[in-house]
Amino acid sequence: MLDWLPENVSVFGEGVDHLFRLIYYITAGIFVLVNAIYIVFIIRYRRKRKGEKAYHFHGSNRLELIWTALPFGLFLFLAFYSDGIWKDIRYAERTPNPDLVIEVMAQTYVWHIRYPGSDGVFGARDIRFISSTNPFGIDPDDPRGEDDLVLINSMHVPINRTVLVRLSSMDVIHSFFLPNMRIKQDAVPGQWVDVWFNSRKTGEYEIACAELCGSGHYMMRGVLNVYSQADYDAWKDEQYTNMRAALQLASDENE
Amino acid sequence: MQTAVHTGHSGGDAVHREHASSFLRTYIFSTDHKMIAKQFLVTAIVFLFIGGAFALFIRWQLAYPGAPIPMIGTWLPSTWVTAEGVITPEFYTQLLTMHGTIMIFAVIIPLLVGVFGNFTIPLMIGADDMAFPFLNMVSFWLYPLAGLIMMGGFFMEGGMAASGWTAYPPLSSIASAGQTLWIVGLFLAGFSSILGGVNYITTVMNMRAPGLRMFQLPMTVWSVFITAIIIVIGTPVLAAALSMLFMDNFLHTSFFSPQNLIVASRDMSRTAGGGQPLLWQHLFWFYSHPAVYIMILPGMGVVSDVLSTFSRKPLYGYKAMVFAIVAIAFLGIIVWGHHMFQSGMNPLLGTTFMVSTMVIAVPSAIKTFNWLGTMWRGKMEFTTPMLNATAFVSMFVIGGLSGIFMASTPVDIFIHDTYFIVGHIHYVLFGGSLFAVFAGLFYWFPKMTGRMYSEQLGKWHFWITFISFNGTFFPMHILGVGGMMRRIYDPTVYDFLKPFQPMNEFITINAMILGFAQFILVANLAYSWFRGPKAKRNPWRANSLEWQAPSPPPHGNFDSVLRVYRGPYEYSAPESVQDYLPQTVSPEELEQQMKHHLAREARAEKEVTV
Repeated sequence: MLDWLPENVSVFGEGVDHLFRLIYYITAGIFVLVNAIYIVFIIRYRRKRKGEKAYHFHGSNRLELIWTALPFGLFLFLAFYSDGIWKDIRYAERTPNPDLVIEVMAQTYVWHIRYPGSDGVFGARDIRFISSTNPFGIDPDDPRGEDDLVLINSMHVPINRTVLVRLSSMDVIHSFFLPNMRIKQDAVPGQWVDVWFNSRKTGEYEIACAELCGSGHYMMRGVLNVYSQADYDAWKDEQYTNMRAALQLASDENE
Repeated sequence: MQTAVHTGHSGGDAVHREHASSFLRTYIFSTDHKMIAKQFLVTAIVFLFIGGAFALFIRWQLAYPGAPIPMIGTWLPSTWVTAEGVITPEFYTQLLTMHGTIMIFAVIIPLLVGVFGNFTIPLMIGADDMAFPFLNMVSFWLYPLAGLIMMGGFFMEGGMAASGWTAYPPLSSIASAGQTLWIVGLFLAGFSSILGGVNYITTVMNMRAPGLRMFQLPMTVWSVFITAIIIVIGTPVLAAALSMLFMDNFLHTSFFSPQNLIVASRDMSRTAGGGQPLLWQHLFWFYSHPAVYIMILPGMGVVSDVLSTFSRKPLYGYKAMVFAIVAIAFLGIIVWGHHMFQSGMNPLLGTTFMVSTMVIAVPSAIKTFNWLGTMWRGKMEFTTPMLNATAFVSMFVIGGLSGIFMASTPVDIFIHDTYFIVGHIHYVLFGGSLFAVFAGLFYWFPKMTGRMYSEQLGKWHFWITFISFNGTFFPMHILGVGGMMRRIYDPTVYDFLKPFQPMNEFITINAMILGFAQFILVANLAYSWFRGPKAKRNPWRANSLEWQAPSPPPHGNFDSVLRVYRGPYEYSAPESVQDYLPQTVSPEELEQQMKHHLAREARAEKEVTV
């Protein structure tokens, strides 16, 4: 059944898949064992003659203790084992230093994706400035924000780099789902949440919305491009050049 | 003059009213717990078919996205389908919302708590009725009213509620009138539950027959009793959350929304903001996670009784079974955060809730092992109730084990909000709860109606349901492993989901068989209710008190006051001649029976030797 998992290309995704496999084999084992016993009982302990009496027995405390203690140990082990992996993925203090920070603002049926411009820093933002033309609420008076790059439904990252995605929403709750990176995180309005990934393989991957956000929920699809470092730099340069040209054009028009 | 006219009419009125009121009091506004149970049953089955039809619409769209609904497509209202008969995305979200809402609040909870709670408690504890019969009637009547109000959005602009049965704000707090009606309906359904819960607790505590101790109660009564306690603790929290959501949606307050939301459907610039969307999730799941146990605990109780009766063996580990229910109820109240691992709440809470969630698997395991223990060296008779009860145990094991995946926070990152959870919840609520409902329904049908159901139709219904149920819901786990998100209108939008389309078609075909198989159930119940062979008092040779009453029991239930001498699970006891020993047989009576039996055997032996 686990062959159906989409290909994992993220570094921490291995931990997730490993745990998935472990739980799969444990539960499959328990399932087979319990049902085998069950089927044997069903076949063996049928009533054959009318009025035939069964074994009069009310139970055994020792057995109760055994089958309380065994699952207890097993499930506590699973909880603490899972927790190690969970901490590595989600606890802020264990997140590796990011090589690249990207902001994602979800809006009903689109993903707005923001990169710092050629200056390498994001312009200041505030929830009060958010509008349909300014999804991130970038402060119009902050010069650092002028060259910020905002894309729609398309994200570009270099391979083998820790990418930190800062996530929020401007209307309802969405969920940022990257199946191949083993990432899923709700985007909640009024709140920023960080998630990170590190892709080991170049290629084009899908971004999906996993939280019902309205009737167009199903088509809230984005694309993630993982490039080699050289391709990523080329893509970035092209974007910056276009951005500068656009800014130039705007300031020319103003004069 | 006026008085004269008045008196002139009142004579006729009185006669008329008496006649009418007796019909009304018996069938409509009845305070008899058995009639109320039947009212719950009939209403819930109607809702079951509505919710089931919604599910089939959903399945049609998922298997054949964009294809017109065959045969009935073009007849449906234009707010549901396009001119060609294709389901619109708007209607699709209403369907998935109302399917979940109806099945949970108008089918499963009323069937388990309303039908079995009402029917079995007074009969199994030897009481003549509930502690508060009038409250019981009100509890029933709030329920169809609540269901109709919830669906009332059908007549409003924008249709029915469309933000999922979980109704996460801000999606639900900026929604149309249908959502407001959903909130009001659910609020009333909650009241119905609370009234029922208070009644059950009081009845079990105060109205047990003389001699009947708490630890001699059948598991059905124990489980409904504990369920009622959960209801009384959890439902008021839901009511509070719903009140806030109502105000957000209707009066534009912002308990659940931050400032400056940019929303097309309404101008949010005048709302204050400062609210927290996650607050709703905490409050909602504080009720709705225990609600999962409200929907499974009574089923566990019913199945325990059915398994013991038809294995002709005492329930294995009775006290452990009771304590396991108490443990599930307690832990069930402190695990709600496992629905929110990916919600943006602090990951530290993920750790906390993962541990409590893993631990709740322990009492579930205890129950499973004790059911196996009950069947061990039994003498099982596979009647329809027994078949459904055995299916319950096996399906509950699958539903419980698939829960472990989601309890593990890292694995949940991937399978959260996918079809894995859809598969899991249906294994618990259909494979678990609904099979328990079928088991209980056939088990008590003779007592409820005074007639026997058709064993043949019952078995047909069981086998078709069991096979198509697994064909429908097992592949959903695989879809979830593939990453298919729940609540999407068209999976083929995504490249990574396209390979799963054949599986979606397979599921839909099974779902249709599953849906239509339920007509066998209705045919069996409806025909047998009026035309089935007359039932004896105790057709299953069972021990518990309800089998001492006539079938069907009259108003007031028992012919005489019962005295209880033992617990309900003394099957195949060596001190008894038969393979069962009713709770009401006194030790002296038992000794007499044994003496007669031995004397008869001795005589028979002598005759053989002579």
